[in-house]
Amino acid sequence: MRDWNTQARNREARLARAAHLTQGKTVEAKDAAALLSAVLEPGDRVCLEGNNQKQADFLAKVLAGLDPARVHDLHMVQSVLALPEHLDVFDRGVASRLDFSFSGPQGARLAKLVAEGRINIGAIHTYLELFGRYFVDLTPRVSLVCAQAADRAGNLYTGPNTEDTPTIVEATAFKRGIVIAQVNQIVDSLPRVDIPADWVDFVIQSPKPHYIEPLFTRDPAQISEIQVLMAMMAIKGIYAEYEVNRLNHGIGFDTAAIELLLPTYAESLGLKGRICRHWALNPHPALIPAIEAGFVESVHSFGSELGMEKYIEARPDVFFTGPDGSMRSNRAMSQAAGHYACDMFIGSTLQIDLGGNSSTATLGRIAGFGGAPNMGSDARGRRHASPAWLKAGREAREGRGLMPRGQKLVVQMVETFREHMQPAFVERLDAWELAESAGMDLPPVMIYGEDVSHILTEEGIANLLLCRTDEEREQAIRGVAGYTPVGLARDKRMVENLRDRGIIRRPEDLGIDKSLATRDLLAARSVKDLVRASGGLYDPPKRFRNW
Amino acid sequence: MTQSYYEASARERLAAVLDPSSFQEILPPSARVTSPHLRQLDTPAAFDDGIIVGEGRLDGQPVLAAAQEGGFMGGAVGEVHGAKLVGLLERALDTRPTAVLLLVESGGVRLHEANAGLIAVSEVMRAVLAVRGAGIPVIVLDGGQFGCFGGMGIVARLCDTVIISEEGRLGLSGPEVIETTCGVEEFDSRDRALVWRTVGGKHRTLLGEAGELVADATAAFRAAAIRALALTPDLSLEALEREHAALGQRIERFGDCHDAVDIWRALGIEAPERLPLLEAADFNTITAGKRA
Repeated sequence: MRDWNTQARNREARLARAAHLTQGKTVEAKDAAALLSAVLEPGDRVCLEGNNQKQADFLAKVLAGLDPARVHDLHMVQSVLALPEHLDVFDRGVASRLDFSFSGPQGARLAKLVAEGRINIGAIHTYLELFGRYFVDLTPRVSLVCAQAADRAGNLYTGPNTEDTPTIVEATAFKRGIVIAQVNQIVDSLPRVDIPADWVDFVIQSPKPHYIEPLFTRDPAQISEIQVLMAMMAIKGIYAEYEVNRLNHGIGFDTAAIELLLPTYAESLGLKGRICRHWALNPHPALIPAIEAGFVESVHSFGSELGMEKYIEARPDVFFTGPDGSMRSNRAMSQAAGHYACDMFIGSTLQIDLGGNSSTATLGRIAGFGGAPNMGSDARGRRHASPAWLKAGREAREGRGLMPRGQKLVVQMVETFREHMQPAFVERLDAWELAESAGMDLPPVMIYGEDVSHILTEEGIANLLLCRTDEEREQAIRGVAGYTPVGLARDKRMVENLRDRGIIRRPEDLGIDKSLATRDLLAARSVKDLVRASGGLYDPPKRFRNW
Repeated sequence: MTQSYYEASARERLAAVLDPSSFQEILPPSARVTSPHLRQLDTPAAFDDGIIVGEGRLDGQPVLAAAQEGGFMGGAVGEVHGAKLVGLLERALDTRPTAVLLLVESGGVRLHEANAGLIAVSEVMRAVLAVRGAGIPVIVLDGGQFGCFGGMGIVARLCDTVIISEEGRLGLSGPEVIETTCGVEEFDSRDRALVWRTVGGKHRTLLGEAGELVADATAAFRAAAIRALALTPDLSLEALEREHAALGQRIERFGDCHDAVDIWRALGIEAPERLPLLEAADFNTITAGKRA
């Protein structure tokens, strides 16, 4: 008769091998390597928690230091490759296969290891996809997670950066995998329980508190007047016209400028209470002035942001916080919210082609896109209506005899030239060449042109919803591409026609006086202004200070 | 909205600090007096070589003024740049204005023309002392993005007073130079809080190196500059010896301190760790009478 319980018996065998290392669930940091060697088996699928903010850095170091003769060919499944150790495991031969979402700063080294045949990449996912596969065909056998604190029983308190932990632990614990947590401290009683003890097998107090990256802090001092102008156009030409109330902002100075113009420019247009009330967003420090001005009713977050702890705790009406006052974030929930419950995504990119496809992929780097593809795509499963969603859907379908439905606003915001005078508009994305050189199935596109509703540059806004042919679409994009080669190759007559029809709108068409686009419009011009706006509650990391 | 001094250009600063429309520039950009060295190196030049000099009025009083533009090579001093500054100071000996204002923003000598720049800075120093010796106060305003370092840091300390904002920085070697030569353990130039705590306006004011701390606003700098017009510096030998003695005691008083905060505590300031967060007015109230 077939044995239906092999996973549980395998789990018991692993636990038995580690039994001599534990007292209760606690393992000493010095025994961490022995623990991992005992519970891991070659070829295991392992999730090493890598997030945008907090990192299981101690466990990463221990894993990377294991003897590859004993532990090898691990299949790593993790959302973010943030630390050098995340790649050291491949360099040292402990792991060989990888499924992930985002590699950010490790993108160049990842590309090199792939080229050398040291890493076999299964796929680059969006967050929701990867989380989905944790429950389908990429379920971790062993998960190495990260929390702020544990109690003696093994309950975990994640602190404000809950991030991926609940998703990883749920997938692992309920499929008879093994969950090992590194914590900053072990205490008698936790401020709140984020992960119940019976989902956790081992707890290790790490020698140093885990690393947290302040990823979403943008210094207002670095916002340019071009970005102020673009933010004015976004607010007047898109937010106001579509009455966008539920939204996600990408990371970057372009969107930080919008956040800082809400209490000044948007307020002067009488938009308070009419736009930007509900957000799926990390707690951006740049949002503080808008929150204080009463624009923002709620913010649900993927993860927290370093320095925002006290401010969040003091604004419980706005943020999702536990009874202890600290934030509970959750990347999977916030990604779902961003995809289905938001009317707009707006963010920057590096390259846009004539089809409106955009990509941040560059040669020699395999970076992935994290959450942008979920946020920046029309949620075709969505059924509930809102004014913004209905208006966008109407514009895209008018006169075509189609079944009426809504559409998400997906706005790509770029200056026509990026750093080093690189044109943001190109005939062909670098993604094609990257796909070829790295042997990918498809060019890595962050946001597909068919999902993009608007492209916003300092030259104007191109409303792609209103375009009816591929040619119109191409000319609409060329029409806002300024002095880039793509822009200079526009058909002037056709672009003027698109302008007459409101498909392209210049700042002057929107009634925006360019001379007013100065940094004086920013509700905060420095990080210190953000601290002032928060009433001293925001405590920025040292590297963002000039005091 | 207040105009930020930190963010303003050198020309905007002059326009905001001096009486409206009173400034007359000498050797303006239209004169095209540019650096001969940069041309040889095929490096972009500025038509004013990064400094604006001229005469104007402050609170109705005639003054000479110079402003360095951090946006051009970090305000670094080259041959032409330095010569314009020396010329302005020497003009003061002829025209005898009420004061000379130096709106400094400079990383020091321009490395592209190192020897000429070094000579220029030494000439500036000599000229500053000559102007002071003639009884004309030289007033420094320091609140730009690049701070005031290297040779210009020495020049600033030769003047009668330094008006500084918290964002302003004053020193000899800049943070990156210290890190490069002494190691990151000695000074981590990327730790911005440490940088400003050490070379920023508040610490320089507490050490007595700057005369007045003002908010980052052009209007605040103007008001402080007007107040400084009334300075009557004591240039006697006794005063000089007193200052030397005080400087000598500094190492005895604070030699054991590892951080600016330790010095603030030694100065008898309660809860010194809150100082960086205080606005200029509160800072001045709390630290009154407690400066080194």
